[in-house]
Amino acid sequence: MKKKKLKSRRKSNSHSHHEPEPSNPSDFSFNITRVAVAQICKSVGFGRSRVTALNTLTLVATKYLETLARSATSFSGAANRAQPNLLDLINALHDTSLHVGFKGADTLYGDDCLLKSAVLEDLSGFVSSTDEIPFAKPIGRTKERETEGLKPSPGGNLQRGRHIPEWLPEFPDLGNKEQSIKRINGETSWENSNSVLGHQTGEFEEKRDGNNGGKLSKERRKVKFWIKGDKRENLNRFSGNNLFSQSVDEEPEVEHKKSKAKQTLVYRRRKKVQ
Amino acid sequence: MNHNPQSSDGKHDDDSALSDFLASLMDYTPTIPDELVEHYLSKSGFQSPDVRLIRLVAVATQKFVAEVASDALMHCKARQAAVVKDKRDKQQKDKRLILTMDDLSKSLREYGVNVKHQEYFADSPSTGIDPASREE
Repeated sequence: MKKKKLKSRRKSNSHSHHEPEPSNPSDFSFNITRVAVAQICKSVGFGRSRVTALNTLTLVATKYLETLARSATSFSGAANRAQPNLLDLINALHDTSLHVGFKGADTLYGDDCLLKSAVLEDLSGFVSSTDEIPFAKPIGRTKERETEGLKPSPGGNLQRGRHIPEWLPEFPDLGNKEQSIKRINGETSWENSNSVLGHQTGEFEEKRDGNNGGKLSKERRKVKFWIKGDKRENLNRFSGNNLFSQSVDEEPEVEHKKSKAKQTLVYRRRKKVQ
Repeated sequence: MNHNPQSSDGKHDDDSALSDFLASLMDYTPTIPDELVEHYLSKSGFQSPDVRLIRLVAVATQKFVAEVASDALMHCKARQAAVVKDKRDKQQKDKRLILTMDDLSKSLREYGVNVKHQEYFADSPSTGIDPASREE
């Protein structure tokens, strides 16, 4: 009994001495960052440090870096760019330094140029005022990893990922747009069929300008939907029992009066579905 | 929210200062090595061939860490100054500054990071003792 107690105590003892590990203790990059953070702490004036404190500060530093990167990437993504630029990074820096506050934080996203940012000025002051403390040891860069991810697919000129096994066939030839519109049975896809107005004029094309992005280039005409219950057999198969027609057409106008009762019935049914 | 990053009013005023700063980044070697920053950046989806941007991120992180550390140093010094004088004389010989969890959590709180460690957690054998009388 006593023995058991001792054992358990030892166990708990060793457990309590166990340091709070970072999320991935064997992480190579984390250990390197810890060295860099320790160097910064030393330059500030600390002679020594607790292991837990240094680990915590390192973890916070890596989180800060990742937050900065993620924020900059999301800013560039919002502007339809794949690669973040300086302005995205400045926006990200603004977001991360909002806790502390900085000059001009009240007019953020205003007319002021981002390049005049106070955060950037602080950074340049920091760079000019602090001595360079290069990292203790040079780190080898793994250059070959960038190219090993891709390999040419057999026969084709397209590159394909490493994760795709050899025995899979190469990518199909996508062809040009004209070919892809045509179907084997002579069918056309819905947006190219005659039931859609303005399908050949490209009216629905979006015009993207610097200032008013996302606005349509032309004014659209009014489109009305008539539901022709009794002419079902003539209808285009793509549009089901809804036929698109313009309000200037006269024939549907007449028909409309005739089958008003029918129409309301169908309309009710449609509403239910919606 | 209209981000218009390309607007360039008043750009010319500090264009030279900015380009000077960016050019100085090419020569400056941050404490956090480029390779490490690139690793973390690519982990978060940030891809840029521009070395200056990577350096800028490194410098920003370095500045952040340095600020937190210097705040912790201030806390540490303030705590040591608050000790009664006769005690301080005794302590004078080992006036090494140690980064502790207490100071770090105080300084991190100002940056929006709440750090809490378990109160019963034995950081070191001398954890429970008053930090001033602690012998390192």
